[in-house]
Amino acid sequence: MFKFGLSIVLATAFMTIGCTKKKNYDEKVLLRNVKAKIKGLDPVNAGDTYSSREISRIYEGLLEYHYLKRPYTLQPNLAESMPVVSDDGLTYTFKIKKGILFQDNKCFPEGKGRELKASDFVYSIKRMADTRNISTGWWLLDDKVEGLNAWRDKYSGKAANYSDEIAGIKALDDYTLQFKLTTKYPQFLYSLAMVYTFAVPYEAVAMYGEEFLNNPVGTGAFMTETYKQSNKIVYVKNPNYRDVFYPSEGAPGDKERGLLKDAGKKLPLVDKIVVNIVPESSPRFLSFENGDVDFSEIPKDNFESSVTPSKEVTEAFKAKGIELEIVPDLDITYIAFNHDDPLFKNNLKLRQAMSLAYDVGRSNELFQNDRAVEAQTIIPPGIGGYDKDFVNEFAKYDLKKAKALLAEAGYPGGKGLPTIVYDTLATTLYRQSSEFFKKCMNDIGVNIEVRQNTWPQLVDKTKKRKAQMFGMAWLGDYPDAENFLQLLYGPNAAPGPNGSNYNNAEFNKEFEAAKVMQPGPERAARYAALAQKVAMDVPLIINLHRTTYILKHSWLRNHKFSSFEHGNSQYYAVDMDAKEKTIKSGVLRMNHKKATAKVD
Amino acid sequence: MNGNLNYIIRRLIYLIPVLLGVCFLIFILFNVVAPDPVNMMLGKHPTADQIIEVREQLGLNKSLPAQYLDIVKSAFTFDFGRSWATKQQISTMFMNGAIPSLTLTIPAFFIATFSSIIFAVIVAYFRGKGVDLFIRVTCIAMMSISSLVYILVFQYFLAYKWGLFEISGYEYGFPNFLYYVSLPILIWVVLSLGPDIRFYRTLILDEIYQDYVRTAKAKGLSERTIMFKHVLRNAMIPIVTYTVVQLPFLLLGSLLLESFFSIPGLGDMTISALNASDFPVLKAMSIVSAVAYIIFTLIQDIVYTVVDPRIKLQ
Repeated sequence: MFKFGLSIVLATAFMTIGCTKKKNYDEKVLLRNVKAKIKGLDPVNAGDTYSSREISRIYEGLLEYHYLKRPYTLQPNLAESMPVVSDDGLTYTFKIKKGILFQDNKCFPEGKGRELKASDFVYSIKRMADTRNISTGWWLLDDKVEGLNAWRDKYSGKAANYSDEIAGIKALDDYTLQFKLTTKYPQFLYSLAMVYTFAVPYEAVAMYGEEFLNNPVGTGAFMTETYKQSNKIVYVKNPNYRDVFYPSEGAPGDKERGLLKDAGKKLPLVDKIVVNIVPESSPRFLSFENGDVDFSEIPKDNFESSVTPSKEVTEAFKAKGIELEIVPDLDITYIAFNHDDPLFKNNLKLRQAMSLAYDVGRSNELFQNDRAVEAQTIIPPGIGGYDKDFVNEFAKYDLKKAKALLAEAGYPGGKGLPTIVYDTLATTLYRQSSEFFKKCMNDIGVNIEVRQNTWPQLVDKTKKRKAQMFGMAWLGDYPDAENFLQLLYGPNAAPGPNGSNYNNAEFNKEFEAAKVMQPGPERAARYAALAQKVAMDVPLIINLHRTTYILKHSWLRNHKFSSFEHGNSQYYAVDMDAKEKTIKSGVLRMNHKKATAKVD
Repeated sequence: MNGNLNYIIRRLIYLIPVLLGVCFLIFILFNVVAPDPVNMMLGKHPTADQIIEVREQLGLNKSLPAQYLDIVKSAFTFDFGRSWATKQQISTMFMNGAIPSLTLTIPAFFIATFSSIIFAVIVAYFRGKGVDLFIRVTCIAMMSISSLVYILVFQYFLAYKWGLFEISGYEYGFPNFLYYVSLPILIWVVLSLGPDIRFYRTLILDEIYQDYVRTAKAKGLSERTIMFKHVLRNAMIPIVTYTVVQLPFLLLGSLLLESFFSIPGLGDMTISALNASDFPVLKAMSIVSAVAYIIFTLIQDIVYTVVDPRIKLQ
């Protein structure tokens, strides 16, 4: 018995000593963690940020966003140049770059990647329209391309014939692609920079069938070496990748930040990318502190130890060479009234009172570490239509005015007002923020009952118009205010993205007119005016535009955050010598005092 | 032997009504209680037409008896199709998840069980003395601390500060997985020691106060012989009951450890499926769990006959 016990102790001791893998500094490897599992690597199902980011390392589209320029600027990617657009704004003709090769794969004859042709885009867009693929990107082209809806309906639920011609998408020759739209749709170009429309070869779909989502074959800078969708993805350079070079111009300040040092260098700048799926924020951040990943977002609980109140990186991190990047997100968080409910639909003053009673500033401090921007309209900073000087009189915290408006609404001190049900998620943060909302409303006499839900329950309630009030966030699909204003567009009511079911005929009409205007200052002014006007009607309690804070190790170069991070990893560079030196010095594991002393 | 075989066959036949019942429960839960999965599948911009199309494709427009039969069919063929959320083959997801779960839970469970029994024997042997008091107090202290604290503290100090373990992650294949499961195994063992030692100690003490022990002492047998030849053997029946009943749950992994150590196991897979209303995956997990539970209780009965030859399966 004693021997048995001893062997168990020894076995345990064996497992507890030296159980770390040796780090490899020979290859230029970019290491990053992501918090969500990757659903698959099929572009037509790139419905979430995490999957679309991974897909875009492998696949490419006609257009892309310039890596450095801000505001976000479209540029040709697989297209030779920006399209020729007909005078009526309905026909878009693209020339495709010649000599672009798909990565080598056994789906091609002799395993050699073939040349990309215009017909690959015709095929790929048909895949998006094919009902059997249940693409979450269909809304982009729904009713917008001539003949595409008819083709989709013809084969609804059954095997589609991809050789059918569609008037609205034609390969005029191997290198010329033409789209004919049914209506003016300036946002169409953004859809061609979105992962849903990226080019896939039909041979791969034919060979892998339903397993195509695990066997990607693209033209991008990287290809998968290992793919475990709930664990890890390893990418290596695609040897067939064409000559693409680091940009030589960027946004103001990029040069000073060292973002143009690699100008003109051939991409990609790393040999390999390793993406680990780490759902919990605590180990994700520890991995960053340990040097296991090159950059990281800052979890709420680690914010104070990472960033000073003046929004700079703390001395402790500075001593370790860690840098901070702060970038506003293209998003809006809001609390929705369900306008199907007559209580809200017919009572502007009640909506205004509740908006004024909500302390957005305090909410920012409590739940966002004071890093978000208080929203004035639904349009976030960074896109045309955002007006930094506009102050929304109903978005500021004013209890006195709120109480007065509540009385005018017919509910003095909340008397006569039924208890309002607020649906939220059953997570700590959402529970706390719901209690805060409840307290704010109680301060003017409005009673709130908080109901907790799982995410599917909350989505179900909003899509079925059963939630009376609920909190929600919207992350922009593309940098156009249309994508935010459409949250209030009547025909988009649930199950569409307008979960509040707000329906204002005047707003609808003005929105329809503004969204078809060509991008430019005139359209931006229309958007701004529209957003400000509708804000007075308080369709939602607008809350915050969040901001991303990213910490980067000293050995990572060229990192510039983008809300549309498609294919950006090819621009990142990793100085492996500096990384090895820093990690081996042990400075990353030291506390503040020791790290500072070591650096001094 | 014939009796044993008959018993095993009979128990396996019981699987059929149990599975039908499990299928019925799943059917009620997902068709009556659960939110509509289609809303989760179509992302931010669904249209009413798309919802109708997808419902048709997923078979959600079929009659209720037909939907129940679909569940029964997959339960008996073990063909669960593809996940609605990730579109991955469920059998592949299951294999990819079972390996990490089992590489974590099986060693952790056996190390925890054997070390707990050893400690329990020691404290029972020295009952009422200083060693007994010390271990009991330590057990209670260990049980008073939340499992999350162990995870966070061990991860911070043992993995990050002292660099003894990997912070998180998983690699398939031996010996690579050992780098990643060592720390969660250690935490599992530490978490189990407190309650298990106290439980096994109670079982052993129950035996120690039996008449046959007094008789053995009167016969002049040594304490050691009484403990290992008689007491421990008799205490094995409840120990086996307690141990085997936990085995099916090993397959389901450890949600908290898998989540904090980024181990892509079945616990993690189940929670992801719940969060996505991924009905096929949840259905598969429920059916596999039910089958595993029945099989392990059968194994439990068989082990009883080994531990105590007086027991016959009938």
